[in-house]
Amino acid sequence: MSGTLGIIVDITLNSLVLGGVFLIVAIGLNIIYGLSRIMNMAHGALYAVGAYIGFSLVASGLNFFAALLIAPLIVGVIGLIIERTIIAPMRKRSMAYTLILTYGLMFFLDGSIKYIWGNKPRFIELPEFMQGTLPILGTDYPVFRLVTLLLIILIMGALMLFLNKTKIGIILRASSTIPEMVSCLGVNMSYVHMGAFVLGCVMAGLAGIIAGPLTTIDPLMGGEMLISSFVVIVIGGLGSLRGAVIAALLVGGVQTLAEFFITDLAMVIVYILMAVILAFMPRGLLGEGKFE
Amino acid sequence: MNRMTTIPGIRSGFHPIHIVFIIILLSGLVAFPFVSGNRFYISLITEMMIYGLLAMSLDVLLGYTGLLSFMHNAYLGISAYVVGLFLIHVSPASFWLACLAGIAFTCVVALPVGWVQVRTGGLAFALLTLAFGMMFHTIVWKWYDVTGGDDGLMGMPNPDINLFGITIGNSGDPLVIYMFTLVIVTLCFFITRRIINSPFGAVLEAIRENESRAAFIGINVRKYKLLGWMLACLLAGIAGALFILYKGYIGPSTMSAFAGAGVLMMVLLGGMGSLWGPLAGAVFFIYIQDYISTMTEHWEIYLGLVVIFLVLFLPTGFAGLTDHIRRLRKE
Repeated sequence: MSGTLGIIVDITLNSLVLGGVFLIVAIGLNIIYGLSRIMNMAHGALYAVGAYIGFSLVASGLNFFAALLIAPLIVGVIGLIIERTIIAPMRKRSMAYTLILTYGLMFFLDGSIKYIWGNKPRFIELPEFMQGTLPILGTDYPVFRLVTLLLIILIMGALMLFLNKTKIGIILRASSTIPEMVSCLGVNMSYVHMGAFVLGCVMAGLAGIIAGPLTTIDPLMGGEMLISSFVVIVIGGLGSLRGAVIAALLVGGVQTLAEFFITDLAMVIVYILMAVILAFMPRGLLGEGKFE
Repeated sequence: MNRMTTIPGIRSGFHPIHIVFIIILLSGLVAFPFVSGNRFYISLITEMMIYGLLAMSLDVLLGYTGLLSFMHNAYLGISAYVVGLFLIHVSPASFWLACLAGIAFTCVVALPVGWVQVRTGGLAFALLTLAFGMMFHTIVWKWYDVTGGDDGLMGMPNPDINLFGITIGNSGDPLVIYMFTLVIVTLCFFITRRIINSPFGAVLEAIRENESRAAFIGINVRKYKLLGWMLACLLAGIAGALFILYKGYIGPSTMSAFAGAGVLMMVLLGGMGSLWGPLAGAVFFIYIQDYISTMTEHWEIYLGLVVIFLVLFLPTGFAGLTDHIRRLRKE
């Protein structure tokens, strides 16, 4: 059995994995919010849709890694349809309306998930090499969690490259700071908003299929993740990407620790942490952030 | 939110037609149980009135202060649980004391939550209402020893309702609860209307219309937002006390996010910022819910679709429709 060191390694790695999943979901939300000032309440539901589509793809005999590519794309297409049909006409209305609109969308998606896949919990079957454990510093750590961690790092790296080095990424970042100027330079802002929404949805779908093997896939997962990612972006500062990174790791760590010690009411500890941070820093750790 | 803002103190009176309408409505509601005697409709109308009160309390927040609360039903739930627990564990006969305990406890819980929420600004406020609401839901759901967890709180005794030493009736009797709810909801409606039409209400509306301007003319925005929040939670607490007296039972599903969306929809349906609109919205919503849930288990999908439809095509609700009609007639 694992000793104290093993437990510490276990908790550290688990925190990183959990924080990483929070991060990907929260970054997706922040991209949408930072670019088009829309808080997507259906983000958790899209995350769940990603997980369920991943489950169906893998269950139909597709390779896990192929599903990892295809599921987020499908979620992206769903996001594109949503954006063009109901979000785009709402841009000029006040924030309360888009909040309520996407809240309705969340129930529609959650209901559709229950309609298509039922209430039964599902599991994504992993490829054989990911099913074992690997001995690290006195503990046997599951291989798939290590692969998950690696994937999260890869995704974040790719996202950073995309935002910093490609032309589209630079347009996106510029639009979050001075949309009028970008618009004057001949960029169609409608497409920027669309791109941001679709990118956010792809991130949600990715997080869904990555998190699928970590937890059971059930209709409640979307709602839980929505709340967690809200906690993350509110602690980090709305729209701030760096803040999200810090907050996601913080929340991931606190939640893992709390789950280790008191199990059932772990989330309550996270809320208390959030309340304390907001009491002293009402705008979150890094403030209403720049998108960089 | 382009509706005409009322000038405080000037339109606080009722139009004669409205007075006639209200008298007819109230006397109809009082007479209903004696005319019909149908137990099912009596309890359905009681539920409509309780949810109407809750929707109205959310309207104080959403329609007048411009703050969105996704899970206002959580405060109904807290109050209901405390009233139930008080009657079960402390004193099974003290009716008023139990109600007072429930409402007071709701306010005690709402105060620090509101204090944190108003410091963060409009959007984060909305997200935090959801987070804190889910926190209360989780606590109630998982704290099996006290709340009964998934099974809900059962075995509540039915105390007698006393007023000035006279026993009005037993709270287990649907007819008594119907009348009691009617009286309390009517009182709450007029008191809230009075508060909203006072200078205090005008300050709330100023914050809704333009927060920074309100701050420039010297209004303490955070303080008034917190007061608006507390008023809304107080009303939700009253609704919660009525709720458990009417049902005799409360479970965690009453405090779920899904139920919270229902309350939000009642306000949307009726129209924000009109007080009577959400009451009408609640009546319509409870009726439809009762009707559809017997036909399909996928009520969630329809709820979502209706919310999307309402926001896209009828953002002003029923109250907005009457404004439209009035404007058409003038032209």
